[in-house]
Amino acid sequence: MTPEGMSAEKIADELSETPPSSAVSLQMSVDNYLDVIRGVLDLFARKKEMDTIYVSATISSDAIKRVLEALDIPSDRIYFVDCISHIMMGGSIQVDEHTTLVESPTMLENIMLKVEYLIKRSQAKEKLVVIDSINSLAIHNNNWILSEFLHILVSGLRSKETYTVILSVEEHSTPELSNMVNLVCDHGIRASEKEE
Amino acid sequence: MPQKPTERERCVTGIDGLDSILYGGIPRSNTVLLTGSCGTGKTSLALEFLIHGAIRGENSLFVSVTENSDKLLANIIPYRFFDKSLVKAGRLVFVDLPIMYERLGMTKAELSEEEIELLVAALGDLVEELGTKRLVIDSITSVCYKLKTSEKIRDFTLKLSKALSDLNCTSILVGEVAPSSSAYSSFGVEEAIADGIVLMANMERRGDLLRTLQVIKMRGTMHSRAKYVLDITSMGVLLVPLLKGGSTG
Repeated sequence: MTPEGMSAEKIADELSETPPSSAVSLQMSVDNYLDVIRGVLDLFARKKEMDTIYVSATISSDAIKRVLEALDIPSDRIYFVDCISHIMMGGSIQVDEHTTLVESPTMLENIMLKVEYLIKRSQAKEKLVVIDSINSLAIHNNNWILSEFLHILVSGLRSKETYTVILSVEEHSTPELSNMVNLVCDHGIRASEKEE
Repeated sequence: MPQKPTERERCVTGIDGLDSILYGGIPRSNTVLLTGSCGTGKTSLALEFLIHGAIRGENSLFVSVTENSDKLLANIIPYRFFDKSLVKAGRLVFVDLPIMYERLGMTKAELSEEEIELLVAALGDLVEELGTKRLVIDSITSVCYKLKTSEKIRDFTLKLSKALSDLNCTSILVGEVAPSSSAYSSFGVEEAIADGIVLMANMERRGDLLRTLQVIKMRGTMHSRAKYVLDITSMGVLLVPLLKGGSTG
């Protein structure tokens, strides 16, 4: 556990208390990203045998895969919707069964379509969609369209009984962004807060 | 007491988003013009409509005007729900119209009035013989190029539409328009005769190119007239609403 925030176990415990089809806002600090990744992807989703659809708008899917490898977290049930690699234009991008590219984080409808596709393709009983992160999406989109995106995406996922976790970075959040996320989420977890 | 109008039987397209837009599917025996510029996904959507029909046990027929059937078949294999046995069992049939032209002796660049009658009758006979419940002609625009005049196009489209409707066959006529066109068809006639118009387009927004679908009209049902964004995937055509916050028009 990092001294600044909640442990991975505690994050997973809190997520486990939420019913299926919940939407959860998970606020983290820059320093406890690794605990959040472990808590959400390993201790929560993998333990529950969920397929995870990870929408990466902050760092590339390749970079997250390297993080998972370093943390010794199996990624066989994690499917990436990578919205950032294409616009970075940084050489070859690996597209495989586990990685789907969206050309730009401004193509919010295409993010919804890729998530929908992966949900349809998944055979798992329970599924989790992680949005990493709302702050990154806000760099590329105005609040109106982002708010509309979240509302449609989360409502759709709820009707498919899929968990949604929306990550936000406390240091980069604004009251408008927090309100937008709170409006569509049923629960909030402040992973950046110290455990009592 | 006023009688509740009877609901028309639906031909469920099997494309989830489209069936929602149409409140359950295309009214059975409607002739729908599926129109748009190149690269908008018309053929993929039309093929999926037929595959779902064949899976449901409805005999489905694809009349190809421009592309060879073998090439088309190669394009649908990536669909996860496509099973080659549908073709082997005769549930999904592909016919090349140029071969029909040849067999009917229609070798000239322009069809005469008699040849139009003959072509409509031949297509009707084929639909009847195969027990076709779903038909796609890809593209009607290419057929129209052999008709030349608006009168002949009107005559052909009307007769074909009536023949198919009488056979209780739900049909999609694929139309092609130029990307800059504001019309729904190249000759301006097909759209007036069709029971429904589904418009597919490429929409540019802040430098991003999105594929869109919009149902302009559909006789016999209520329907959404909003624009949707689509993606062609191995799970079929997927649709989500176009986000209005960023719409340019």
